[in-house]
Amino acid sequence: MSITSAEVAADFKDALQDLKTNSRPEISNLTIIAKENTEHAQAISGELEKHIRTTRPDWKLPALYVLDSIVKNVGTPYTVYLGRNLYRTFMDAYMVMDPANRRAMDGLLKTWKQPVPDSMDTRPVFAPEVTRDIENTLIKIRTHTVQAQQTLPQRPHGLPPRPTANPMANGPWRNTPTPPQGHPRFAVPNDPRLRQNVAQPNPYGSPAPHQFTTPTPQPFPMGPPLGELESVQADVAQLIASLAPSDMKRQSLLDLQTLLNNQSLPNVPPLTSQQLQAIRAQIQALTPSPAPAMPQYAPPVPNLPQPFLQTPPQNAPPSFPPAGAALNLAQILAAAQARPVVPQSSTPVNAPPAVNLADILRQVSVPAQSSTTTAAMPFFPPPSFPPVPPPVVQPTPPPAPTPTNNLAQLLASLPKPASAQAPQPPSLPLGLPTGGPATATPDWLLNALKGLPQSASGAAFPPQVPASSTPMARQASGATNTTERVEMTSASLKQPRFHLINKLYGARPNVCATCGRRFASTPEGKERKARHLDWHFDVRDSTANRSGVHRSWYIDEREWIDYKDFDESSPPDAAQSTESAAAPKEDPKEKYVRVPSDISKRVPCPICQEKFDTNVRWHQAANDFVWMDAVEIKGRIYHATCWEEFQKGASIPAPTTPDSVLGKRKAERDSPASGKKIRAF
Amino acid sequence: MSLPGLNLATTPSQTQVTAAPTSAHKQELAANTEYRFEASFTHPLTIKLLSGTAEIFGSELGPLTPYTFRGTKAAVYTWNGCSLEIEGTAESEYVAEETTMMNYANAHFALEGMRDEAAKNNDSGPRVLIVGPENSGKTSLAKVLTSYALKMDRQPMVVNLDPREGMLSPPGSFSAAALSSILDVEKGWGSSPISGPSPVPVKMPIVYHYGMSSPEEGKLFKPLVTRMALAVTSRLEKDVASRHAGFIIDTSGAISHGKGGIYENIDHIIAEFSVNLVFVLGSERLNSDLTRKYANRKEEPVVVIKLDKSGGCVDRDEAYMKKLRQSQIKSYFFGDGGENVLYPTLTFADFTDLNIFQIQQASNDTSAFRPGDDDDEDVYGSRPIYEKMTPTTLLQNTLLAVTTASPNDRQDVIRDSSIKGYIFIAEVDEAKQKLRVLSPQPGRMPSNAMVMGSFPEDVPGLLE
Ligand SMILES: Nc1ncnc2c1ncn2[C@@H]1O[C@H](COP(=O)(O)OP(=O)(O)OP(=O)(O)O)[C@@H](O)[C@H]1O
Ligand SMILES: [Mg+2]
Ligand SMILES: [Zn+2]
Ligand SMILES: [Zn+2]
Repeated sequence: MSITSAEVAADFKDALQDLKTNSRPEISNLTIIAKENTEHAQAISGELEKHIRTTRPDWKLPALYVLDSIVKNVGTPYTVYLGRNLYRTFMDAYMVMDPANRRAMDGLLKTWKQPVPDSMDTRPVFAPEVTRDIENTLIKIRTHTVQAQQTLPQRPHGLPPRPTANPMANGPWRNTPTPPQGHPRFAVPNDPRLRQNVAQPNPYGSPAPHQFTTPTPQPFPMGPPLGELESVQADVAQLIASLAPSDMKRQSLLDLQTLLNNQSLPNVPPLTSQQLQAIRAQIQALTPSPAPAMPQYAPPVPNLPQPFLQTPPQNAPPSFPPAGAALNLAQILAAAQARPVVPQSSTPVNAPPAVNLADILRQVSVPAQSSTTTAAMPFFPPPSFPPVPPPVVQPTPPPAPTPTNNLAQLLASLPKPASAQAPQPPSLPLGLPTGGPATATPDWLLNALKGLPQSASGAAFPPQVPASSTPMARQASGATNTTERVEMTSASLKQPRFHLINKLYGARPNVCATCGRRFASTPEGKERKARHLDWHFDVRDSTANRSGVHRSWYIDEREWIDYKDFDESSPPDAAQSTESAAAPKEDPKEKYVRVPSDISKRVPCPICQEKFDTNVRWHQAANDFVWMDAVEIKGRIYHATCWEEFQKGASIPAPTTPDSVLGKRKAERDSPASGKKIRAF
Repeated sequence: MSLPGLNLATTPSQTQVTAAPTSAHKQELAANTEYRFEASFTHPLTIKLLSGTAEIFGSELGPLTPYTFRGTKAAVYTWNGCSLEIEGTAESEYVAEETTMMNYANAHFALEGMRDEAAKNNDSGPRVLIVGPENSGKTSLAKVLTSYALKMDRQPMVVNLDPREGMLSPPGSFSAAALSSILDVEKGWGSSPISGPSPVPVKMPIVYHYGMSSPEEGKLFKPLVTRMALAVTSRLEKDVASRHAGFIIDTSGAISHGKGGIYENIDHIIAEFSVNLVFVLGSERLNSDLTRKYANRKEEPVVVIKLDKSGGCVDRDEAYMKKLRQSQIKSYFFGDGGENVLYPTLTFADFTDLNIFQIQQASNDTSAFRPGDDDDEDVYGSRPIYEKMTPTTLLQNTLLAVTTASPNDRQDVIRDSSIKGYIFIAEVDEAKQKLRVLSPQPGRMPSNAMVMGSFPEDVPGLLE
């Protein structure tokens, strides 16, 4: 009857071990375990903390989502137990995370400072003392990073130098006003409430975190007040997180996010405080109602393009929302656009008069490869940018936009770095016009991104949205929509045609986070992606026990000629539907059982004593080899036909020869779903 | 010879070790550049896409997914710019700003035009042959073109006629497969079926055993090409999606050298597969020889196009090629380590259980002096293709191809039969007349005709 805490904790631990992605079912499952075992909350909390501490950095975030889900959905006593060590749990993980995951953690922390949305309880998820300490430390880390960055030499063109084995050896703190007092460089500062604690060694050793850039470093000392950029970034991240993945607005915001993150790049001058505020105003205008910033935890949806943005709003459909559900930013902006006063007469190709954020970012994101100009298609990202005209000198930036201004204008007014193409000597940036009021044209963006690390534009995994103000229309382009024939001649194949690349990328903006496969954002594309994700899920599901898995014999010539390859994302084809329609009463011969991986279970049918060898097929839908005409009853495998006969009370049938089994196969069953006979085993 | 890299794959404890974070660094790539790297067999390199888009020979990297490379020379290319996290030590690495990707992408879009046309007329799509000397980037181009076709939801057929590097099968074989979904970023093409689920959709190849390292050797190449073409053509009659997408044939550099401007094997492939488009890489002479011969032909003209050879192409020396082959063989039996371990079966067999046919290399010696001789006479006439052999210690550490033919079939039937797979002879005990055999499949040893060639070479370390 009574289970011990240790047993419950062990179960919980086992379930945690399998959590490698933000898998909704797994996180719900873990939450349920926690909910049903509140009397063992202490043991479970301990196990969860230990897991977060010890698991690989890339598996920590999913575990933190479990923590999040438990404290929000179950609450006490977990908030108490987990709250005690939250500082350590959070900071230890934070130190080894990459920037993307850190942003996600920032998002989590933010929601912990607020009450659980829609709940009667108005208290924040965690007590303010708990979250405040974390927040203070995060600010310190950012400060340190900024200072450390200033002392780092500029990266030369090409490969950056390898980080040295011991970052301490380089003395990155030499010039910092506030060197860490005896702590390893990135060790978590002590929990202020646990001062007796000696700084715990980072479980991954101090060099590891050194490799990651911190989320919001600011290379320039003259930037806006510390924290302002971060808070705008947080707002953007939050808004993004509240949008459905398919929302076009989200795409543009992702680009904006990248732009903000790019503040860390060496030759991008900082945004002014004014500009940040303007962006913020825009973002707030776009933020829906007074709805809670981070709504009640909805377990993250697996396989969204960006794992760190996977906390969708509570009411939003978990995945694959209808395309039209949300307005796109471009449209919103277009509507809100009074009369765009974007001063870019000097860059006609890059800036069509009706600019929106999407346009700007899209154009920016395909920098030049060479100096050849191919401006044939003004509404596609030009393959290479025309020589940049001398910057239009504008002594002051435009006044901070009022809320009715749009992001496009705002972005157009952002500062311009001096030069982007040549690597800059370390001293130069300090001499730059730091306010960046030199020009108001967005070509600084073009320049900045040209030949520069591009985490920027690309950032959004589904990259550029098409230039059209009705992006959806353009995105449908697929294999069939070949407006431009490329001639098959040596000369023709040498011409750059960067605009065509959109067919491989932008036209299929919906990326599978697991394998990178792309899908169109059309209803069909969404269906395909859904089937594809199901397939991943099934495969993951059945990879658990792999003992005995072996290479199979190849199929023979005849089978191969008849074989039809099957794309896991395609709709069940006509043949298959015929099959299911033709066999409504479940033809026993269509029943199958996965070939047992345990060889000792590969025994003949207990009824007719025939082996199953001749019934082995590759079953597409099962994505596995199966025994056809087989059922498993109480752990034993029978021919489905034998079992049926047996059930009817008929006498044991004469052993079926392989040929008779195959001979009875209906012609229309030559479909992928029925697989092909594999002469195996 | 010890092959430390090969031994890593099977021991889970060691793969565990490599999973621990070591020295990660960030690599930013501007748009239209590529990060070229060489990862050794012993020290894996792990690459993760942090932001932006990136592809390896056309296969896109999933966001934030770690990909691990061993014994790989390749490039991460980006159309839009990206930021990568790279962990481990590369044998060599650099960023190249000049790449051939636009040239290859254009080729892809030109092929797409032909495919659209084919789909409209329910005709056959482009039938492409890729030729060029060794290490000119033929296989890489084939991957790029295939990946891009897959991105556009095509289902192209790929044919490998280079025995030096297997496609979905160990080296020494020829194979063909219709591809769908995605290729495998880490393994290049992907994997043939295993008895359980596979994290990347499996590909279903047809495989023939060639058993020698060069198509210019011996007398088996042409008949096997003929056979393969027959199978592919038959398949495409039924498989509409692949018919419209057409096929891409990757070849061995050996056939591109020619004898006095004559490229017998290329001619044979073009004829048997009705190739209508040839991509030439890395040889102006080959390009002009083929253009002269085919481009102006009245009936069934063949378009010959020279594409740029990538500056990233690395000459792979024999030592590397051998390791590459051995790792392909290793993963045929044992999988790729980590979560993809496979469990082959080690069994004992009597000498009499196996029907082994050894390819007669001797017939090759004289052929060079008789350029005009008739293949058929040799093949079907007096000179045998194979000699039936009783196991000897010579068999130790060799691969045998298990054909789908019976040992009583005619020799040309054995030659033309596709294969079920390979077994490995781990030990020969002449006194006891017994063999220790490693087989991918559990169960009884097939009594089919098995073929032993001279290639791939022994794999002494396979079971260590
Ligand atoms: N752009 C590139 N960057 C880095 N490595 C590359 C690039 N292109 C090709 N390689 C590498 O160069 C080597 C030779 O290329 P590839 O295998 O495509 O040539 P091949 O013509 O097929 O050679 P073979 O004749 O031996 O079959 C391979 O290891 C390949 O991965
Ligand atoms: Mg090759
Ligand atoms: Zn996927
Ligand atoms: Zn039975």
